[in-house]
Amino acid sequence: MYDIATIVVGIIQVLAMLALAPLLTGIIRKTKARTQKRIGASILQPYYDLLKLVRKDEVISDQTSWIFRACPWVNFAAMATAAFFIPVFLVYTPFGLVGDLLLVVGLFALGRFFTMLAGLDVASSFGGLGSSREMMISALLEPALFLSIFVVAITYGGTNLSTMIEASSNSSFLPHPQIIFAAIGLFIIILGETGRLPFDNPATHLELTMVHETMILEYSGKSLAMMEWSQSIKQIILFTLMVNIFVPWGISSSILFSSLAVGFFMFAGKISLFGIFVAFLESSVAKWRLFRIPDLIAIAIATSMIGIVLCYL
Amino acid sequence: MNNTNLENYAKEIASKFSSKIAKTWQNNDELHLNVELDAMPKICDYVYKNLNARLATIICSDERKNIGGFAIRYVFEKDNVFIFIIVSTGQGFAFPSIISHIPAAALYEREIKDMFGLVPTGNPDMRPLVLHEHWPDEVFPLRKEFELETKAKRQEKEYQFLRVQGEGICEIPVGPVHAGIIEPGHFRFSILGENIVNLETRLFYTHKGIEKLAESMRLDEALLLSERIAGDESVANSSAFCQAIEKIAQIEIPKRAKKIRTVFAELERIYNHVGTLAGISTDASFPFGAARLNILKEKLMQLNEYLSGSRILFGVNRIGGVRCDITDENKKLILETLSQVSDDFDKVTILLKSKSSFMDRLRGTGAIQKKIAHDLGTVGIVARCVGIDVDARRDHPYGSYYLHNHKTPQELVQHQIEMEKRTGDALARFEIRVHEVQDSLDIIRESLDLEDDSLFTSVPENLEPFRSALGWAESHRGQTLHWVMIGENNSIFRYKVRTASFCNWPVIEQAVLNDIVPDFPLVNKSLDLSYSGNDL
Repeated sequence: MYDIATIVVGIIQVLAMLALAPLLTGIIRKTKARTQKRIGASILQPYYDLLKLVRKDEVISDQTSWIFRACPWVNFAAMATAAFFIPVFLVYTPFGLVGDLLLVVGLFALGRFFTMLAGLDVASSFGGLGSSREMMISALLEPALFLSIFVVAITYGGTNLSTMIEASSNSSFLPHPQIIFAAIGLFIIILGETGRLPFDNPATHLELTMVHETMILEYSGKSLAMMEWSQSIKQIILFTLMVNIFVPWGISSSILFSSLAVGFFMFAGKISLFGIFVAFLESSVAKWRLFRIPDLIAIAIATSMIGIVLCYL
Repeated sequence: MNNTNLENYAKEIASKFSSKIAKTWQNNDELHLNVELDAMPKICDYVYKNLNARLATIICSDERKNIGGFAIRYVFEKDNVFIFIIVSTGQGFAFPSIISHIPAAALYEREIKDMFGLVPTGNPDMRPLVLHEHWPDEVFPLRKEFELETKAKRQEKEYQFLRVQGEGICEIPVGPVHAGIIEPGHFRFSILGENIVNLETRLFYTHKGIEKLAESMRLDEALLLSERIAGDESVANSSAFCQAIEKIAQIEIPKRAKKIRTVFAELERIYNHVGTLAGISTDASFPFGAARLNILKEKLMQLNEYLSGSRILFGVNRIGGVRCDITDENKKLILETLSQVSDDFDKVTILLKSKSSFMDRLRGTGAIQKKIAHDLGTVGIVARCVGIDVDARRDHPYGSYYLHNHKTPQELVQHQIEMEKRTGDALARFEIRVHEVQDSLDIIRESLDLEDDSLFTSVPENLEPFRSALGWAESHRGQTLHWVMIGENNSIFRYKVRTASFCNWPVIEQAVLNDIVPDFPLVNKSLDLSYSGNDL
């Protein structure tokens, strides 16, 4: 059993994820604006947006059922729960025994499942279109995600995130070349999961081209705030996984205050850098044709497969 | 200079239909033929198929006081001649439809039905076009008895869209209110999965009654009105209007004015093309390219403002010349700005062309077949992207454009090969725009060598009533036609505007048929159609 101090640190980790999620979105948006020679909104803008939405009234179509109303809660609950299993700046999480990476993926799927249902539930033609696109993409993304997770799991001895990250922080990836392939695969998948270019354009106003945005088109007020916040949390969870599994440098291995502080700042730095990298990447590609997206996911599957083969060589 | 062509066509038509033609006369470079109403479809068919002329527009006007009926003018375009086939409806309120011969006539006939209440017998599509279903059936705004101030009563009716039926077919209604800052227009998609099975557009939400309004205005007021038909085509539209009036008044504007008009027309073309290219980049979700191009557009618009006092070049033209001068100092500024823009533009287009993800989005998207583009009577880039080589600047020289029409035989052959290669997709339209921006930059540089004469000539105080003329210009969207008939006391009796967008809108319904829903915005932007310029 863990002592109280560890559990407190664990809870602080979760709260940090929830609190910092919109900031990451802000950093990415700001970077994209700068690459386009725009000044861009402040990196705190996502917080202001959430605050604004929370204060607004909601309009709910009379064609909807309970699914539409439940969806933001299910999404938020799923993402917040997932955050409990992610080691952020401490190398393990006290709640890690309850759930592993597969559960995190399952929670994402739960949120997505409800979002797709809500898209259909509003009975608008765009919602249905968005759900069908999301269904196509996620049906391909999930196997790819599992494959790349398995590479990491085989290498580091289990799907439990604490074990994984502990193992990765204690060993170099040089004797495990398959990790590089898993990283490439997982990176492509993360772009898809978070709805970034070249999969989906998070900044567009064109309802005919959107994927994620079409499903939440009918949301307003608090529900919209919750949907957007959940999406940011999902994003920060995936980014955290990426940096902590593949570049675990500086992560704290004890609950001493000094090493936790180092761990936190290293985490903040790494994740911001990763966000900026993603923003630059987004600036340098156009969105792919919808029916080309499977090609991209196929690359992720292929690299993960190579990783699995390398595990047994 | 074009009398030989014109006389040849007159002779050729007369030899076939001499008994049906009441009168033939010439008005500048227009050949007018008064023909009998019953013989009109055959003559039009002959002119369209045997002379291979293009239907430029159909103009109807209420001349019941003068000739005892509505006059309908079928305007065809062949080489550098406009052939007017004129009929009078007499006592009746119907005229034979020609869409079985010339498909492009369909929209014009529906427009005449809405505005004049004349029934095109034989046109299967009698749904309202310009005036929506809420407008009362028996009120026709362009008839002379219709008072400008009339408040029409609203009636309840529903528009019938074409229904596609079958398993798995969904309808998506888009608009007329869109996300983002776009003009209103309704698009009804019938889709099977992501594939577009049918698209029906419903426009004319921004109908402003321009043609009726002009009839209550003085000429100089109507000039301001013409600038406001579509904000981004202000120079093209006002030039076309001015040229129509100048033709009626039989005046030649000074050479300096001609060149200044050319400079502004090309500045307008450049800033719009750059803006459209930015839009294409946005709609392909490549915001980086869009941002770079939008910076250039802004620089050009600031130059516009410095030169003319208006970012979108309002107030450049006046009847008989131009209002804005280009001083030596301004010349230097134009050259400096353009060389900067030109350098940056080259860099951005090279970048865009090297992005495989961007080029892949454009290639094959929104492809138009040449036959469809021809049958629908498209103009401008939409026609040029399939290799139909029309450009009013070259076909019907106006302003100072004839200066730029020297082509060696080698260039000519190269040009024809180039035309044959064009594929009609969004990529072709992208490349033509890039090319035209570079051409326009050259035209401006050449035109800046201005003569030292005046900015305008005086216009006769009183124009002869019931004289008419056609004015034209090539806007960045294509050929723009303005036909003006002068009334008594220098008023406007009839003002008919046909912008390029009116010709090009029907093409979008065909262009999307091989595409999927998420590519529609890209197809739409690459065609660059104006709502305001279409709805009038």
